[in-house]
Amino acid sequence: MNAEANSSVLTFVPASLAERAYRSTQISWTGLRVWLHYQTLIWWDKLRRRDPDARDLHAVHQKNADLIFHTAVSLRGMLVKMCQVIGTRSDIFPREYVSVLSQCQDRLPPREFESIRRVVEEDLGKPIGSVFAEFETTPVAAASLAQVHRAQLITGEKVAVKVQYPDIEHIMQTDMTASRRIAALYARFSDNPIDFLPLLDELQTHLRMELDFRREVESADRVRDFFSRDQDVRVPRVFEEFSTRRIITMEFVTGAKPNDLDELHAAGIDTQGFMLRLMRIFNRMILAHGFFHADPHPGNIFVTADERGKPVFTLLDFGLSKQLPRGFGMGLFELMFSMMTFNESAMLRAFRELGFDTRKGDDDSLLYIARRMISRSDTGSFQGEFTEDMTDEMFDAVRESPIVTVPTDFVLVARAFSLLSGIGHAIGQRGNALDAMS
Amino acid sequence: MTQDVATDRQEFSFDELMADDPFEKSLVTNDIQCHGGYIDGEYVSPRGALRRPAIRNWCERLSVADHPLITIPEKYVPPNYPNYDQAKYLLQEGVVEPVTRALTIIAIVEGFGARIREVSVPNFDTEVEESVEGTALAHLASGLFEAHARDEAGHRDQGGHKQMWEAARDAGLDNPEIPDDVLLRLMSGGSPATRKRLYPELSERMESMLLMMTNVLIIETFAEDTFNWAKKLLGDPEVSADPEQAAHIVDCIARDEVPHVDYLTVALSELRARTLIGVDGKTTLSGADVIDGVFRRQLRGMATVRPQQSRERSQADIHQAVSDKRRASSVARQFEELDSGWTFPHRDDEELDVLLKSA
Repeated sequence: MNAEANSSVLTFVPASLAERAYRSTQISWTGLRVWLHYQTLIWWDKLRRRDPDARDLHAVHQKNADLIFHTAVSLRGMLVKMCQVIGTRSDIFPREYVSVLSQCQDRLPPREFESIRRVVEEDLGKPIGSVFAEFETTPVAAASLAQVHRAQLITGEKVAVKVQYPDIEHIMQTDMTASRRIAALYARFSDNPIDFLPLLDELQTHLRMELDFRREVESADRVRDFFSRDQDVRVPRVFEEFSTRRIITMEFVTGAKPNDLDELHAAGIDTQGFMLRLMRIFNRMILAHGFFHADPHPGNIFVTADERGKPVFTLLDFGLSKQLPRGFGMGLFELMFSMMTFNESAMLRAFRELGFDTRKGDDDSLLYIARRMISRSDTGSFQGEFTEDMTDEMFDAVRESPIVTVPTDFVLVARAFSLLSGIGHAIGQRGNALDAMS
Repeated sequence: MTQDVATDRQEFSFDELMADDPFEKSLVTNDIQCHGGYIDGEYVSPRGALRRPAIRNWCERLSVADHPLITIPEKYVPPNYPNYDQAKYLLQEGVVEPVTRALTIIAIVEGFGARIREVSVPNFDTEVEESVEGTALAHLASGLFEAHARDEAGHRDQGGHKQMWEAARDAGLDNPEIPDDVLLRLMSGGSPATRKRLYPELSERMESMLLMMTNVLIIETFAEDTFNWAKKLLGDPEVSADPEQAAHIVDCIARDEVPHVDYLTVALSELRARTLIGVDGKTTLSGADVIDGVFRRQLRGMATVRPQQSRERSQADIHQAVSDKRRASSVARQFEELDSGWTFPHRDDEELDVLLKSA
């Protein structure tokens, strides 16, 4: 066993009452500061008889987003996860928040090994050495909920072991309670509040599911099944006998990053039609199977070369996987298609089918959103690619117009397509969903 | 019958190629405004006021110069699967899903025909030795591709063939439930193969355009049997909910496809009668050699392996759908007995080479 000490490792201490009180105070203090940053401006504008709604809030949004980001990174745990979720909700939060908080990457200082060993031994019900011939004590990655260690099974297979931090459920409870208090206070004192409580409910449900690693294993199994006859997609094998609610033991995989052309070429990967292949994989999950890996950022996709040099995509981390409602794929296809042909009545039918709705049931707001989105396309028309610019513009329009319901599913799909488009742009290709279908 | 505008012009503007005839009534189906319209009670295709005479004039010019037109022999057109008798039998037995799936996929594929507007047209001035002035070739990027795209996918609030196929399906099959696996079937072709250059001497743009045009021409020609099948099936009062309307819509689509086959045939034949210049500006290739080569390659794939694979997939789907039925084995057996027994041409069949007819 590799048991070298890591100086940056955090020693695990079960969340004490004092620690929980500290976390609550820090979260509340951050919430108060964020609120005051806005409120002070409103008071000042009212005093000067100016319209507070006319003020450009870019700087204060940026300042507050940075403040929340730093609090989350210092407190870690659920707050990091919460920031990541906010980073996916362009339909609700201003661009500055989405841009800063989506950077709340899953790269944090690791926990000290003893606490990890304890989880492994508790969950597997045997000494770590009786399952693993080797278990590196320094993790290869540490995130908000878990860290990943490289290991070798007694039977010889090289594996990656994802181990959940102990006490994470208590931390979640503490952070949720504090966040709910802030949301309630915000609703009480704000003139025109965003209703955060349903969002927190959604987040709590999502986090509870994410904390059960068996669900992640099931998601990986489903996607593996979808592509069982496809040579260019891989989902690492999971060793179910060594996986539990808090542990996933899976085949160790490496590969080039999909957004690094030099790395891809160095790995001998033929990049002709690279994005077409990657988009086909996500099209099949989203449009055809209705269940998809909703977080295709470059860190979750490894690329290797097959015997002919064609790319093989290994998909990792199924924590954020999503089951889409029946008919969603066809609805989304119809929306893309009608946007491509500027057919506004078909666009409206597709918007409604996907679950979009407006406060007054009017059509103009929905068309306005589509027009704003298309206006940010390089070609002046929608060709099938959800670029980051286009999705940002779309969600700006959503926040500004009287939309009541934007389906979360659509937000996640648009984000996934936008992440894929970003990968494409990094290597000089287009991440075009319609191209990949035709 | 619509009287075409009398003109001997060879040059047409973009707007002229988009111009409609003076319709007395427009085509509205399934509450959707579609393209085209009626004159003296007869359906007239969209964007035809000058596109029709233009294509006719370009074709006549080829004829005067004694240049032949490329053509696909009828015997290579694979019949629709399942055939009319089989499809009718399935509908009578209450197995609607395979027909619904087939019609929905046709609608989507037709819609994707709009991508023809994205084809990059090469610079004919530098890549073709002879002038292309006053030809269909010279009008590909300035109206013909766009008109074709609009016909297939619709434009703004005017439905095209995609919406018309959906309307025919819904009229004939009484708004059937769309199978969940339609998009999966459409995307089940595996990863895109890396294409090897056929004529590396030519610009990639020229080769891609030729491949795309040939591909579309073959698909459009092969679709003729599908139109006859759909008209007969959806127009059969024994199995269709609205035989008159459903068959009429399919007939409208079939009429609209005529100018597509015509302009693609004329443009490829025009290029066939010319000399192509390579990217180095010096190498020249006979247009006939290149067009015939591209055509031969595409036709060999599209008339043999691909329809056979597609037929096998459909057959498996149909048997799957039948297996849920009572008397499953008897229905399956009866279905197979109605098969017309088409033999697919072999890839090496020399007769699959391009054939010509006089313009």
